[in-house]
Amino acid sequence: MPITILPPKAFREPPRNLHHDSDDVMSDASSDSEDSDSQPGGVSLDSGETIHPRKRRSAATTSGSTFTKRPKTANITSSISVPRSAIVTPGERITTDPQWMRGHGTYLSSATLGEQAITSSLAGIVTRTNKLLSVRPLRARYTPEVGDLVVGRIVEVQAKRWRVDVGSTQLAALPLSAINLPGGILRKRTETDELQIRTFFAEGDLVVAEVQQLFQDGGAVLHTRSLKYGKLRNGVFMAVSGTGGGSGVVRSRRQVWTLESANNGGPIDVILGVNGYVWISKHVDPVIPEEAKNQQTGITNLEEVVSATMYSSQNDRIEPETMREIARIRGVVTALVENGLRVDEDMVTKGYNEAVEMALVSEGGPEDVYLGGERGEQLAAALTGRLA
Amino acid sequence: MASSQHVLLSPAELAYLHASLSLTPPIRPDGRSPTQFRPLVAETGILPGTNGSARICFADGTEAIVGVKAEVERTRTRHDFPSLDEGAEGDDDDLEDNQHDVVKGDNDWVEMTVEIPGYRDDDAGTVFLSAMLSEALLADGEFTKRLWINRRFHWKLYLDILLISPPLSYPLPLLSLTTHLALLATRLPRLKSEGDEDPLFDDDWAAAAYLYPRPAAKKGSKKTTSFATPTARPPVTLLVMAVGNNIIFDPSKEELAVADVALAVSVGESSNPSSSTAMDIETEETKGHHNLRILSVRTIDPPSRLTPPGIPNASNSAYGANAAGAKDTEKKKQQQEQARTAESEAVEGVWKAPRGGAKPLVLAALVQKVLEKGGVADEVLDALDGVDLN
Amino acid sequence: MADRRRINGPVGTTIAPIYDDAPEQKSQVAMATRSRPANVIRKMYLKTGVTPSASGSAYLEIESSGNGGSGLKLSCSVHGPRALPRSTPFSPHIILSTHVKFAPFATKQRRGYLRDPIERDLGTHLEAALRGSIIADRWPKSGVDIIISIVEGEQDREISKAQGIEAWDTMNALSGCITVASAALADAGIDCVDTVAGGVAALVQDAGDDAAPSIVVDPIPAEHEKVLAACCIAYLPTRQEVTNLWFKGDLPASDMDVYTQLVEKGIQASKSANRVLVDCLNETVG
Repeated sequence: MPITILPPKAFREPPRNLHHDSDDVMSDASSDSEDSDSQPGGVSLDSGETIHPRKRRSAATTSGSTFTKRPKTANITSSISVPRSAIVTPGERITTDPQWMRGHGTYLSSATLGEQAITSSLAGIVTRTNKLLSVRPLRARYTPEVGDLVVGRIVEVQAKRWRVDVGSTQLAALPLSAINLPGGILRKRTETDELQIRTFFAEGDLVVAEVQQLFQDGGAVLHTRSLKYGKLRNGVFMAVSGTGGGSGVVRSRRQVWTLESANNGGPIDVILGVNGYVWISKHVDPVIPEEAKNQQTGITNLEEVVSATMYSSQNDRIEPETMREIARIRGVVTALVENGLRVDEDMVTKGYNEAVEMALVSEGGPEDVYLGGERGEQLAAALTGRLA
Repeated sequence: MASSQHVLLSPAELAYLHASLSLTPPIRPDGRSPTQFRPLVAETGILPGTNGSARICFADGTEAIVGVKAEVERTRTRHDFPSLDEGAEGDDDDLEDNQHDVVKGDNDWVEMTVEIPGYRDDDAGTVFLSAMLSEALLADGEFTKRLWINRRFHWKLYLDILLISPPLSYPLPLLSLTTHLALLATRLPRLKSEGDEDPLFDDDWAAAAYLYPRPAAKKGSKKTTSFATPTARPPVTLLVMAVGNNIIFDPSKEELAVADVALAVSVGESSNPSSSTAMDIETEETKGHHNLRILSVRTIDPPSRLTPPGIPNASNSAYGANAAGAKDTEKKKQQQEQARTAESEAVEGVWKAPRGGAKPLVLAALVQKVLEKGGVADEVLDALDGVDLN
Repeated sequence: MADRRRINGPVGTTIAPIYDDAPEQKSQVAMATRSRPANVIRKMYLKTGVTPSASGSAYLEIESSGNGGSGLKLSCSVHGPRALPRSTPFSPHIILSTHVKFAPFATKQRRGYLRDPIERDLGTHLEAALRGSIIADRWPKSGVDIIISIVEGEQDREISKAQGIEAWDTMNALSGCITVASAALADAGIDCVDTVAGGVAALVQDAGDDAAPSIVVDPIPAEHEKVLAACCIAYLPTRQEVTNLWFKGDLPASDMDVYTQLVEKGIQASKSANRVLVDCLNETVG
């Protein structure tokens, strides 16, 4: 059947993670414990400093009047209240306690008694870093942070730099001085390099890079001064929502890893850019060109050689088996995103293994890599079932 | 919304896509089989304020809504030559029926607009889409006859096709399927008046007749006596492309970017000439063997022609050993010369935008693949049958 | 597209009466018949370099049906390649923009000054046909404008009401546009892989009770009782490739032969037009 037409669903279940969070908050402490941290849907937003609803509440109770949250319609009745929900909405007062400092996603508004209240300006989750209160939005575009590994697409070439789309509010900049020039890692850039800037990266090229510094306006400056960064080839690109959404790529221990694929697919590199751009490609061991082999080999020379392929736009030979597994991994990531699950090394690996097993029992056999529609839901169900 | 809108893909991506789609069988980025469509969610009758409506969305969030509105309009007549109007025109199939009420339509009775967010309504691509969809609808000249009320009045049908989301892929198949469903769900109030008097309609919406009467609903088809075309259906336009030796349906944006040739094929289903009473049983039996008509074929300018070409390593001045001698201007010049001469040679793993057109045989194969018995068009129509029309 | 920039007349329109000839005359002229063999296109006149100020230009005239009507007269000018405005993003290829415009007086019904959907649609078809023929990567970062004015469309004076015929006439217009634009591009010195020319074939039903439908090239809709289907092809003869295909009509899908034959005849018509095109270009040089 080439086409599947489904009737609309009656209603969409809210994403699991949010659902559970609010449950946790509203139910009593008697609710059974460990699950909120190990949710598969995961509170993707908390990378360390987020206060979990439960933790936050305990913090609130121990430190006294931490949060004052009132329904906007109600009168001011109590100065101490337990947050009813983990989510605050724009205009919702978070606290009037002057000991807190306001952070991102909040603003100061004058309360009735002349006191300053920290009010949320976003729909999101309150996070606390020491005395700093901020609200992390449920869904937002990528906000770059120094050290982030990102995948970006060159959209503009200027005289001495490239402009890179990283899915952020601003185009990121990649200066010519922040790339490894070919032919010697420590070579000074010359006018010739400026003139042939397009031979390094041209419009449309994909790069993997690291955020080196940030401008005041939120724009990022990237660099590719490492052998693991540079132009991408031998694979497929996909854009999923980045950090800040309920699903999508989350900051985790490893954003880049090599996955040993099934069905003779060989090793496959997966790059999950923190900005939600994903690159899945055949793993290629650096090949030393013939001419370079004859020259003397040293550490610097080796680097030189490895960086040689950095600006190539020619794909290596890729076996159909590898392509099939790349498509399967891409399907896994799509299924994860469409079903509101987080995308990280753990989930992708587990999802991939599950998908390989699913394909074995499907009528198409192991060569069937389709994971759209119902199969994606099956996959997601299997993953959440296993992990819960 | 041109098909050739600027697709920014890197040469390496394009080379990979082209290579994987050229395999036998092709490996599509989302794992679909060559003839498989993206799964979609469809419903009809979503807008109570319209005569007919439908909505279709893909899993990636692309969504289209079509609303059909009908208004009664006075038919502009040429008072001078009523005889010429009917006799000499010869636009109708049934000339012998000319003596009394000849049911005839005019293409002006249908107004179709396509709205793509972010594109002007007079954008060449939007106009192209709307021309393609209306061309298929009006091709057989039968559709406008359904809008005929009497000699003085007719329905004016407004088809408003809205893409709700930004176009993540060329929206032609999506818009066409949605329009198809909306037209199937379209109902016109039942006419109470007779002859050429000013039309008067039944207030009861439940009694309204379907624009395309259905074989199953006997109640509906009995009331619509003016046209004995029970199995006729609105056209469906399918997007099909070829890469290498493969024919691929419902391409995504990335796939279209490496297409050698892309075609939009409009398919209709004509009324069966046999009697309408036997129709109910017959359609059940001959499911999958629709009486297909080919209504329109258009080449879509594939965006692949505008993609940036890759540079083979051999002539890449930033590549490996070449780069080491970058200061050697003599060598570089030589390389540039080489690059010029090697222009037309294909290097494996290097993307090269296609030039020229498509072989006539390829084009014929694409159309054949759509129309063959039990082919994709048949199955798509079967699947559309399954949509609940309310 | 409504003309929003000018003051338009009131919406309620009426149609001016058209006076028909006396009945006996009418029977003589009402149905002109095709005098050419089925696979011969009409004579055409093509000349390049007609507009000195443009980079390239061409003029095409196709003879009228000899029925007191007018033939097709097209004028095409090519401007470019020229630099793109600063604001446009980098393009590794030449950017093609096509404008097809009927002169307000070209058709029986006067056309407005703004391009209507049919004209825009023609422009898109033309662009697809030409893009396949030019070597776009020879001219990075540049653009070229191709402007075609249809000075006179095909109209038969005697057909008092031509409902449904105009739709088929656009195909003839498109094929003319493709041929003339190709000549103008060659005149402008823009690299092409091959010359592209347009050709039309149609499945027609002739007058008469028992006439079977037949396929003719370069049809004049007024000469036939009914046009069942037609297709317009843009063809590269030396590469043997089709750059644009536009088929319209109503054919049973079970009978693919008719469709295939139509396309073949369209290609044949295009080849004939191409011969004229090549001769014309040779003449200019010689």
